[in-house]
Amino acid sequence: MKEELFVSGRNIPNIDPHLNIWHWQIPLYLFLGGLAAGLIFYAGLYTILNKEKEFPTAVKLASFIAPPALVIGLFMLFLDLKHKMYFWQLYTTFRIESPMSWGAWTLMAITPLSFIWSASYLKEVVPGWDWKNKWLDRFEAWVIAYRKQLAWVLVVLAIILGIYTGILLSAFNARPLWNTSILGFLFLTSGLSTGAATIMWMSKNHTERKVFGRIDFLLIVIELFFITHMLMGFQASTEVQIQAASLFLGGDFTVSFWVFVIVLGLVFPGVLEVLEIRGYRIPVAIPALCILIGGLIFRFIMVEAGQVTRYLY
Amino acid sequence: MEYPMKAPNRNDRSTRYLNPYLGGVLLGLLLLMTYFITGRGLGASGAVKSTVVATVNEITPEYAHRSNYYSQFISDDESPLNTWLVFEVLGVLAGAFLSGALAGRLKLKVEHSPGITAGTRLVAATLGGFLFGLGSQFGRGCTSGAALSGSASLALSGFLAMMGIFGTGYAIAWIFRKLWV
Repeated sequence: MKEELFVSGRNIPNIDPHLNIWHWQIPLYLFLGGLAAGLIFYAGLYTILNKEKEFPTAVKLASFIAPPALVIGLFMLFLDLKHKMYFWQLYTTFRIESPMSWGAWTLMAITPLSFIWSASYLKEVVPGWDWKNKWLDRFEAWVIAYRKQLAWVLVVLAIILGIYTGILLSAFNARPLWNTSILGFLFLTSGLSTGAATIMWMSKNHTERKVFGRIDFLLIVIELFFITHMLMGFQASTEVQIQAASLFLGGDFTVSFWVFVIVLGLVFPGVLEVLEIRGYRIPVAIPALCILIGGLIFRFIMVEAGQVTRYLY
Repeated sequence: MEYPMKAPNRNDRSTRYLNPYLGGVLLGLLLLMTYFITGRGLGASGAVKSTVVATVNEITPEYAHRSNYYSQFISDDESPLNTWLVFEVLGVLAGAFLSGALAGRLKLKVEHSPGITAGTRLVAATLGGFLFGLGSQFGRGCTSGAALSGSASLALSGFLAMMGIFGTGYAIAWIFRKLWV
């Protein structure tokens, strides 16, 4: 018999000492959600700025990736649920203090709107496309007429979605690694960066690629700043936060975090972007791929490492 | 605006490759630094070996554990990929890419002698790589691991490996010269 379990009262499988409830579905969703948020943000932003012609990939082509990314991401969230058939109950209430509620409703709004946005550009992207239905034709004309208003709604929702992917973790206050308010902005920045990398990769337009290369470089710098700040914040905090940071500073996640996220996922593509800005020829797929893979691994590490950290020792 | 560092002219060969003697000295210094920082030498075939071991262990774990060769690189605690050589080779790829970018010769192409086709070159290189991989495991290291790092630490096996690799190369280069010139 294991008497110590009775004495301590800590026989809580999958929660104590380490959380073991979130697996690959959650980081994959966080990545796809962040990517979709980034893509939708740029599509909306350049529409609001009246620059659809200068940035055709950002506004039109790349926006087609957002709806499938959101649908796959939502499916991942669904796969993660223990009681799958009760998912609809999230939509029977709205609780302003619950990040899950914010996320569920934001996704509920942004997913169909991103479909509508892409559909309104289908005729331009696929020449000869015909809806073969007068109601759909009328609806398309209506969406095109109100595109700017739709862009405003999408930009706001995309920012909420991007922040939410981080807040989902940081609201989990029982895990010191996640319980930091910088996570929302860090994940938003990372999502915008993966979105910019995708647009840069897809674009055939020289100016657009250049602009998105610069945007991406700036976001990489901001992301590195946030990560430094996060680690410094942990280091200056209580013992449990110091323990959490030590996972990345000599602990189990040191190699994967520094090699794949910091060096290959941020610094290396950052250097390549600088070289490109200075006029060197860089195949754009390489920095873009590094950023995308780095962003994905970052989320896997944050979800995995966060579950290992704890307050109770 | 003038940038202080300009992209090199793609047609100017002089800027494209480093002087090989200077390259050799730099490689030696790199080796010295590697010993100083990591306490061990450079390697390349070890990373390939780790990748093969990890793949075999993933596909048929029973076979990997049964095999005398594979089982020595497998532990229950961590993946066979978690060795510094794997990360070193990732760094080599990234560094080579950067150096290619700085020299302005990043282009997807197959370099081969005018006498053969790109296909012949790829087949010959694959066969050569296969033999080198096999040989490196018999000899417990490749040019970097056994010859370079070994001779730098004054190991007799390192000098033997160096002489074996380059001596054989000289001896049979004439037979395969059509692949190069």
